[in-house]
Amino acid sequence: MSVIADWIEWLPALAGGLWLSVRITAVSLIVGLPIGLLLAVMASSQNRMARTVSVVIVEIGRGAPALVVLQLFYFGLPSVGITLSSFVAAGSALALTTAAFTSEILRAGLQAVPPGEVEACKTLGVSPRDTLRFVVIPQGLRIALPALMGFSILIFQATSLTFTIAVPELLSQAYSIGATTFNYLSVLVLAGLLYAMITIPASWLVVSTEKKMSRHLSYAR
Amino acid sequence: MVPESNLPKQMVSLRGVSKSYGDKNVFSNIDLDVAAGEVTAIIGPSGAGKSTLLRCINLLELPDEGQITIGDKTIKAGSTATNKEGEELRRKAGMVFQHFNLFPHMNVLRNVSFAQERVLKRSRKDAEERSRLLLDRVGLADFADAYPARCSGGQQQRIAIARALAMDPEVMLFDEPTSALDPEVGLEVLAVMRELADEGMTMIVVTHETNFARDVSDNLIVMADGKIIEQGDPGQILSDPEHERTKLFLRAVLGR
Amino acid sequence: MTLLITVAAVSIGVVLGVPLVVGLRAKNFLVRLVSRGLVDLIRGIPAIVWLFIIYFGVSIGAFRFDSTMAAIVGLGLISAAYFAEIYRGGISAVDMGQWEAGNALGVNRWTTFAQIVGPQAFRVSVPSMTSYAISLLKDSSIASTIGVTEIVFFTTQDARSNDGGLTVYILAAAIYLALSVPLALLARRLDASLRKKVSR
Repeated sequence: MSVIADWIEWLPALAGGLWLSVRITAVSLIVGLPIGLLLAVMASSQNRMARTVSVVIVEIGRGAPALVVLQLFYFGLPSVGITLSSFVAAGSALALTTAAFTSEILRAGLQAVPPGEVEACKTLGVSPRDTLRFVVIPQGLRIALPALMGFSILIFQATSLTFTIAVPELLSQAYSIGATTFNYLSVLVLAGLLYAMITIPASWLVVSTEKKMSRHLSYAR
Repeated sequence: MVPESNLPKQMVSLRGVSKSYGDKNVFSNIDLDVAAGEVTAIIGPSGAGKSTLLRCINLLELPDEGQITIGDKTIKAGSTATNKEGEELRRKAGMVFQHFNLFPHMNVLRNVSFAQERVLKRSRKDAEERSRLLLDRVGLADFADAYPARCSGGQQQRIAIARALAMDPEVMLFDEPTSALDPEVGLEVLAVMRELADEGMTMIVVTHETNFARDVSDNLIVMADGKIIEQGDPGQILSDPEHERTKLFLRAVLGR
Repeated sequence: MTLLITVAAVSIGVVLGVPLVVGLRAKNFLVRLVSRGLVDLIRGIPAIVWLFIIYFGVSIGAFRFDSTMAAIVGLGLISAAYFAEIYRGGISAVDMGQWEAGNALGVNRWTTFAQIVGPQAFRVSVPSMTSYAISLLKDSSIASTIGVTEIVFFTTQDARSNDGGLTVYILAAAIYLALSVPLALLARRLDASLRKKVSR
């Protein structure tokens, strides 16, 4: 049972890495989601310039693999004079990815709000901005919530990619331990289980939230 | 010739209004007048263009030709009418929809107060006071803190009426207000509409409820195939229509 | 190389996804539990971690995966889990009435699935499958981390040796975009033509 003993020995280091992964996830979401919402609103606006800019950013953010964006921010930017620390590079690269993907999720959520309500706002004389702010966005966010939660889980998994830009997160810790003990399998499996420990319950949460939402959203007509 | 200034003040006027979707012409060259305090009911078979016409009055749909007048504001189709002017016109009319379109994430009181605060710039206190008054008027004073989802269809529609009235409109437009309701439940709503009419509100109602048309409206318009085929006294038309199409339609509606 | 890995992994995933989804829908509770656990575990652990486990971790006797094999096996397994979920969604999207009709006609459960429900489920699944395949194309970039000579691998090499790197990464991103956008358009066209077949 030396495997368990090893695992217990490695746990602190791995836990530290895990915590860093969680922090990076939080930063990406906190920065990326508002930008995603902005992009979603721009995408449905009447202004053609706003729509085009939004589409371009979203397509690039979604089309380029997260790994490439990460490396671009960390290795590539210095050549134009912008040097970022690995944490900042990781956070901003993943924030960009978050913004791009969540803008699509949010756009779908905003569009799912019954258009009749927008018409009612028109007839009441409510300004388009107020309509967005008080009627469409609150409901759109609620509709998009399960999908956003699902996406957050994916971003958490993506933090493992920051290993390549020297972020000492969970995978990185596991790899170093593996490199020194030559026992890669055991430590990597432990790391995998640690990831799963967070992602699997999180996805159960998503499913239960989805169920709760669909109960709420069906109202008497 | 009666000089223009002696004619009764028309609250709503449509002149030469036409609307098409692509090649499909919904209606063309419609003229319509509704005097202040008058209740006009529009009936007719589905697809006749009734709802579209109603929605052109408050510019939810933009007519391709013609002009729309509400009170002292006129908008000509296709002209360089700014968004602002369109909004001013729209503000004079309140609308009640077939599917209510209440805001499910706000409670009843807020549903009625929201536009008052944001558009009319009333204080929260004033807006809520007015809202409670209106809710009482439609018989739902106790429902202020409830959420729309908890209310029956008839209650929701009455809330929608209160919400529209809160904006002090000059004319109320009703787009098939009872079509989505059970007949019994629809009666509550029709009762409220009747009271509104008795109080002198100018109303244009697209409806299938011929009883309402007969008892409450002052003017009946029958629309079919994109044209007004008959208009005039409701009692007269409903008991002895002139046009063949009207006869056909009424036979189906009344003979159920 | 990017394309090779993507195609290989998708193929594996499409095929292996089937036994997984059968397991997910099995009558036997234990089989269902194991399948569910497997799928959740595979999807719950990041791809790069799986690749590392397979590449660095697996050494049975003298056998070790080379980087390309490891990438294909790893991504293939992950695809299988995702496809199993997609299939599951597709199958439940098919109206219950179809199963009942098959039953009423006296057709056994297996044939009902193969001839009636299966094809319909497949058609419904296609959009999700194609969008997953496209995202896998991008994920194949992860294989570079274990030394597979695909796009990002070359990019990193180039950047390191030329110690400027912005243009190179932008180029890489552009290549991925150039690959995924036309594929997305193709996928949309495929979806539309399949839809035409079904509409009456």
